[in-house]
Amino acid sequence: MTRTCLFALVLAACQAPTKHRDTTGATAAIDVPVGPVPGPGEASQANPNPYTKNDDVAVEEGFKLFQRYNCAGCHGDHGGGGMGPSLRDVDWRYGDTDAQIYDSIAEGRGFGMPAWGTKLPEDHVWKLVAYIRSLRTAMEPDRPSIAADTEAPPNTTAGLARPQVQNPPPPEQGK
Amino acid sequence: MSRPISTRWTSALLLLVAACGSSSGGSVEASGPPNGQPEGPAQVRLVSPLPNGEWTLPAGDLANTRYSPLAQLTPQNVKGLKIVSTVTTGVPHGHEGNPLVVNGVMYVVTPYPNNLMALDLTKNGQLKWLFRPHPDPRSVGIACCDVVNRGASYADGKIIYSLLDGHVVAVDAEKGTEVWRATVGDINRGETLTAAALAVGDLVIVGNSGGELGVRGKVVALDVRTGHEVWRGYNTGPDNEVLIDGTTKMFYPHDQGKDLGVKTWPVDQWKLGGGTVWGWLSYDPETQTLFYSTGNPGVWNPDVRPGDNKWSCAVFARDLKTGHVKWVTQLVPHDSWDYDEINENIAIDMEWQGKMRKVLLHPGRSGFMFVIDRETGEVLSAEKFEPTNWASSWDLKKGEPVKDPTKQTKHGVVVKNICPSSTGAKEFSPSAVSPRTGMLYIPAHNTCMDYEGVDANYIEGTPYLGASVKMYPGPGGYQGELIGWDLKTQKKAWSIQEPVLPLTGGVLATGGDLVFYGTMDGWFKAVDAKTGAVMWQMRLGSGIIGNPITFLGADGKQYVAIYAGVGGWMGAVAFPDVSEDDPYAVLGVVGAMKDIKKYTGPGDALYVFSL
Ligand code: HEC
Repeated sequence: MTRTCLFALVLAACQAPTKHRDTTGATAAIDVPVGPVPGPGEASQANPNPYTKNDDVAVEEGFKLFQRYNCAGCHGDHGGGGMGPSLRDVDWRYGDTDAQIYDSIAEGRGFGMPAWGTKLPEDHVWKLVAYIRSLRTAMEPDRPSIAADTEAPPNTTAGLARPQVQNPPPPEQGK
Repeated sequence: MSRPISTRWTSALLLLVAACGSSSGGSVEASGPPNGQPEGPAQVRLVSPLPNGEWTLPAGDLANTRYSPLAQLTPQNVKGLKIVSTVTTGVPHGHEGNPLVVNGVMYVVTPYPNNLMALDLTKNGQLKWLFRPHPDPRSVGIACCDVVNRGASYADGKIIYSLLDGHVVAVDAEKGTEVWRATVGDINRGETLTAAALAVGDLVIVGNSGGELGVRGKVVALDVRTGHEVWRGYNTGPDNEVLIDGTTKMFYPHDQGKDLGVKTWPVDQWKLGGGTVWGWLSYDPETQTLFYSTGNPGVWNPDVRPGDNKWSCAVFARDLKTGHVKWVTQLVPHDSWDYDEINENIAIDMEWQGKMRKVLLHPGRSGFMFVIDRETGEVLSAEKFEPTNWASSWDLKKGEPVKDPTKQTKHGVVVKNICPSSTGAKEFSPSAVSPRTGMLYIPAHNTCMDYEGVDANYIEGTPYLGASVKMYPGPGGYQGELIGWDLKTQKKAWSIQEPVLPLTGGVLATGGDLVFYGTMDGWFKAVDAKTGAVMWQMRLGSGIIGNPITFLGADGKQYVAIYAGVGGWMGAVAFPDVSEDDPYAVLGVVGAMKDIKKYTGPGDALYVFSL
């Protein structure tokens, strides 16, 4: 945002010494709003997503592709995050529409998200989009259950007294 | 304090000796009994003591003891320890490593973007200059375990450190200008640099990171003056590239033979074979030998790579000048659990069964506390220090672990309750040894895991894992443990258990018989080195995963410094970018760390303390 403003200022400054501008017939330099999110808006996507997040075949295949193309290594087996951000949560750096997610995958993103557009067929990218959109919904394949193997949350550590935690039954030890 | 350390080895050595001679309480001999006497602590002799009052190398000294003879702070007076200065780095990511102190200036390397801050200690830490190297932002996404940096070295008037994007940079320590920049790794192939570069004599040695992306592990020696490469030694592949030849002497028969770095792998798999060097380098000036150990073998699914997978999970001894391998001992052949053995190799001379021996202390991620003869590579002792069940013991005669077949991980099978987890019984966070107590202070932790080998596809620059891993707290009701390890008996003398989170911060031992360490929930503690009694603690702004250091100020007072900025592999679960409802996320650590956000959040502060 700051950079956009600066740019506009510089432009204005450059234009200032020239002939007074005709404001009556002014046409906007850019005719769609410059949003804060990079990539095309929903409308500009030539081919809309052929699959929906309710297409269980596409979602299931998307899940397999997510493992096969090593997305899982960076984003977590179920998209919970790691080297790349969580794809399960409500926060999106580059937008959460189908088109924006498609662009994130196809074109890559600056801080180390590879660009897959030239390497994967388009329908694979759309299936990945369908899988990502299914996360945390009833449609999510192999939805992880965290409750099964974790214990009750420990008490707070406020103050110097340190609480003891109850752990799950101990696995057998070698010692 | 008054003079910078010369890079010429000989003069540096003289200076070290001089510094130690004049230091307060700076006896480098242990207070223990003479040879052969059974009573009292193990006698320990330091081989490269710390320059008095300064901290010019990643671990303080070359041998990695993290022991400082400074003795103003003691168990009796440490109650009065107060914050004298805090500085934020502006980068709320994992602050592993520690600052340097040279000539009254403190140098801080931040996580990516790897800025270097020079703080004037005569002006209460005011910024003298800031150097911004602008590494390639794409490196952020290929760094396996947060965008960390483990520290710098001072040599030849320069601060030398690694950038996440595969470069090593040397910065004029006075002016803050770049002197040279060398290319060591290639991020397009998944190589990053996170380890601390070690300057020794005319060389600076760096190792690579990226064992989760099919990288081939190596160490590279650069000329301190120019950054030009002097030698490189790979950790997998043919002998001529590992720098093994006829004069290399492997101690154990199964480490002997030609081109084992090729033959112990399926065809060409060694090229993606990992064995990276993201931990610590140490050096013994008396034998001019460089020591380090290597990470996990490439691809976590062990069925993809039948064989011993040499030289992953192994300890290397190399000649400093040429890189030539003196010996290698593989600690975990055919690692099937991601037990990188990259932890520190502390070089000390120690009383062992009545005789002084030249040893390395290596508290292994695999759960064994290895004592290794550093002249031969023979393992003298390997005792467990945390719950460990993948091997019942480590056979000293045969030179290999006695593995439990039921804990062997496999393709397509979920093997449960393996201890420790892939994060190790101890992480990269370095331990400290005190010649006064004959003890090693190990920041350990206790997590176990379920592990399944799955299909692996090599796609350059992406994770090459082939495993689905889920971790959880280990048995006993604690996750972290600071262990006071008796070097004579190779047993715990005392320990402090941390109930809620693992320990992934380093340790400092001092001549005042204090041990300093920090916890992931932000407690910075001073402990009586003999008894393990906590004498002082204070909660800092973020979880601690860095290493404490101590130094003398211009005013002659003893100071202690530590970073507070949670992150790294386990600590990354504190970041908002991670969702706790995927226990397999962050390479499987989420299950063990899902409560971390309750205890700490990202931070970026340096704290300096004194009385
Ligand atoms: C090498 C690691 C890596 C791999 C492999 C990878 N990603 Fe990413 N991904 C990232 C990083 C890092 C980002 C954040 C980039 C940024 O902020 O500039 C990201 C961002 C994204 C985003 C945008 C998220 C947002 O918040 O807007 C999506 C969607 C995504 N990746 C999907 C995928 C898919 C699908 C695959 C597999 C085809 C994949 N990624 C493979 C590292 C990776």
